[in-house]
Amino acid sequence: MAVLEEPIKEPLILKNYVDGEWIESKGKLHDIVNPATCKTIARVPLSTPEEVNEAVEKAKKAYPEWRRTPPLARARCLFRLKEILEENFEEPSRIQTMEHGKTIDESRGETRRGIENVEVATGIPSLMMGYNLEDIATGIDEHLIRQPLGVFCCIAPFNFPFMVPLWFVPYAVASGNCIIIKPSPRVPISQVKLAELVDEAGFPPGVWSIVHGGGEVAQALLEHPDIKGACFVGSTPVAKEIYKKCGQVGKRVIAQGGAKNFIVVMPDANLEKTIPALMTSFFGNTGQRCLSGTNAIVVGRNDIFYKKFVEAFVDAASKIKVGYGLDESVQMGPLQSKKAKEKVLGFIEKGIKEGAGIILDGRKAKITGDYPPDCFLNPTVFDEVTVDMTIAKEEIFGPVANIMRAKDLDEAIRMIHTNPYGNAASVFTSNGKFAREFQYRVECGDIGINIGIAAPMAFFPFSGMKDSFFGILHGQGKEAIRFFTESKVVIQRWW
Amino acid sequence: MQLQTASQVINFAVELEDKSAKFYEDLAEKFKQYKEVFLSFVKENKKNKLFVQRVYNEVVSDALETGFSFEDLGVDDYLIEINLAEDVSLPDVLKKALDIEAKIERFYLNAAKKSKSFLADVPRVFEKIGKKRGERKERLKSLS
Repeated sequence: MAVLEEPIKEPLILKNYVDGEWIESKGKLHDIVNPATCKTIARVPLSTPEEVNEAVEKAKKAYPEWRRTPPLARARCLFRLKEILEENFEEPSRIQTMEHGKTIDESRGETRRGIENVEVATGIPSLMMGYNLEDIATGIDEHLIRQPLGVFCCIAPFNFPFMVPLWFVPYAVASGNCIIIKPSPRVPISQVKLAELVDEAGFPPGVWSIVHGGGEVAQALLEHPDIKGACFVGSTPVAKEIYKKCGQVGKRVIAQGGAKNFIVVMPDANLEKTIPALMTSFFGNTGQRCLSGTNAIVVGRNDIFYKKFVEAFVDAASKIKVGYGLDESVQMGPLQSKKAKEKVLGFIEKGIKEGAGIILDGRKAKITGDYPPDCFLNPTVFDEVTVDMTIAKEEIFGPVANIMRAKDLDEAIRMIHTNPYGNAASVFTSNGKFAREFQYRVECGDIGINIGIAAPMAFFPFSGMKDSFFGILHGQGKEAIRFFTESKVVIQRWW
Repeated sequence: MQLQTASQVINFAVELEDKSAKFYEDLAEKFKQYKEVFLSFVKENKKNKLFVQRVYNEVVSDALETGFSFEDLGVDDYLIEINLAEDVSLPDVLKKALDIEAKIERFYLNAAKKSKSFLADVPRVFEKIGKKRGERKERLKSLS
């Protein structure tokens, strides 16, 4: 099977997108490397504080007119964007594979999920409506209006370079705000491509902006007095820090952190269907996903079932084809960087040291095609894992699966609750009572029942609990609209 | 060769549609008495290709089992050969067309079965096209 054509032929020099213009930054340039080929595909600037200020100022200037633009007209910009995205579906998808490493199927899936948020946000004339009640007292009426706030910022992670900003940005602009995106400096090209399409869709200058950079740019955005709120997705320590900072200065915030997701396999689970779902869950996106399964708990004292599960899991994982994501036959791409691979290797070492049994060792990668091994790993599977082991507690963010045992569902739920994270958890079962118990009791924001990756659709909030989420309202759908608008109540009487 | 990822399967389906469209274009040139029938097949193939590509692009999701759904879907049984000899006769051509259609029908129906676990729209489209290829076989038989 041939490798698909790469859309980036020569290294790009990326620019900021401010006030509807592509502006060269004075900041230092940093190489973006394709993790599969190890070739430099772009250079991204680390923008200066002055450039951040300039972007905020321009966005602030664009806000009053954009706010006054009727919601239907704002929705039309989003409809045009949706059409342009459909027409250009393939290029941003291939770019994601080139900069991140994920397979082309995964990239196209990411593009689709991003577009779905644009689609949902086109419903802004209905989504943004308030409510009213006549005669709250004799002759007095009361109504609620949702109003935009001004300029927001979005600080994006590296694992979903195209989709994650779209959990927030379409809702921000649909409701009349302006927004500045700071893409991850590791994978900024998808957002540049997206902004080119945004430009084509005819958004007014300053409504949708991009400023490249790392932590310093994020800091400058968060500290800027004209930024009304921030959306962040990344690690838990940074999410906590951002939540604290926004609280101190009175900004709204959605801060999504890390995860350690448990998958409970009941003895009545349909293994034939469960195993492919678990392959995607544990090894999809090379495990670099906050909804990835990482700890599988097999429930029951039935050794035959346990053995059957482990054999099927390891057999399927050992057959996963690893290689360059633009090769359509490949099922798992490389880690996003050498550093990410080293981190995963460190966890595997720890797992071995702490007594887990390594039953599939993916450290020496078998790669389809002739690519440097720098960022590649094959799936690794541990058994005899206990909840106190480092590999079971901490977020590995790589293709490593831990298999554990619990005597019953109660014990499995207790094991889940030992972990500080609460992003997602799934149960595989044929029993409605088990499923209901699981959904009712497990303290995680996203629950899967016979679903390996409980990823909420664009019209539902992307939830999260405990150390996986800091804030009240979540991204996507109606909650995002609430986040990006202020509720104003009007009480009126006429004589 | 085995097809495993959704992307591979969709591209293989597109390849079958393109190749068989080319085959019927050639037949339309060669056998003028059935030109309209063959060209209607070409038109239908183009539509099928669009359906298949659209259904994939519209329902593909990073969260579903796109990379792990088509175990044991080998392509060798469905490879089609469309070259025509200069002096090929109509009965031979129709026999070849029936063989091609049978392979394509089997591919779609088998792919529909294998894809049941992940995206509802994909098996539905595969089944629909598979059935259409069955109907096409009947039309071809009526020409002979």
